[in-house]
Amino acid sequence: MTRALEVDSHDTATSQTSSARTDEGPTDDIFSFRELARLDEALTMSSRETGLHFTLYVGELDMPTRRTAEALHARSSHHPTDSVLIAVSPGQRVVEVVTGAGAARRLPDRACALAVLSMTSSFASGDLVGGIVNGLRQMSDQAGHPAALRTH
Amino acid sequence: MFDLEWYLIFAGIPLAIIVILALLTLKPGANRRPRYKPGQPWNHAPVWYEPHPVHTGGHGPAPAHGPAAVPGGSGTAALGSSMYPEQPAERNTDASGAGSSHGATAHGASAAGASAHGASAHGAPEPAGPLGGARGTW
Repeated sequence: MTRALEVDSHDTATSQTSSARTDEGPTDDIFSFRELARLDEALTMSSRETGLHFTLYVGELDMPTRRTAEALHARSSHHPTDSVLIAVSPGQRVVEVVTGAGAARRLPDRACALAVLSMTSSFASGDLVGGIVNGLRQMSDQAGHPAALRTH
Repeated sequence: MFDLEWYLIFAGIPLAIIVILALLTLKPGANRRPRYKPGQPWNHAPVWYEPHPVHTGGHGPAPAHGPAAVPGGSGTAALGSSMYPEQPAERNTDASGAGSSHGATAHGASAAGASAHGASAHGAPEPAGPLGGARGTW
């Protein structure tokens, strides 16, 4: 996705409002502003639609990576039973998906494995954000809506 | 016949068009951060993104506060954030390589013990039970 022209600074900051997000410079040296927006939307919409708490960790994972990911998952929210952690370590080229017991009932291991497979295919092509967003979409489609919202 | 005027019109204008389009196309790409290639080391600090808390007044991600980036899991007030700052020992500076196996393997991890251990460190009320999920390498 390329842009032909940079966005002009509109300098909208006043004493009561902060400056425009695009004027603040990169909030992150890992992902650009647009990539962060995509990740934000994917995480939030997945969490809202399924009622599970999806979080994303990008960084180094101490060996053994599975145990580190599980420890992170336990810290990820007040209710780790219903939360899903996606831990991506691009340096070690490992992705770990950890689901709590409640989340695993709705998102079985084979669905996670399918999502991980598509994520690793994207990562191998160098597309971190696209892989993560597609993996989240696949997992939220598999998990479906919470029972209370189902009308049929 | 082939005087300067001829060259300016029939060669200069197409060249000028091409140069302008090239600048518009190539110049923004020069500022882009380097693209990730598998196998290159990852030297950034770990970041941990969370979804927006459920009750934020009902609008979607449009307010664009960005992900609640919780660097390494430091404590914030948002619902669902981790409960204590990242421990220094958990930040691994020595990148040992991942296994060379490919493909995804499903993990019905045992982990009632492991998660209880992680949970008891800060008194989380509920263990996450038998953990599931998957892992993959590339």
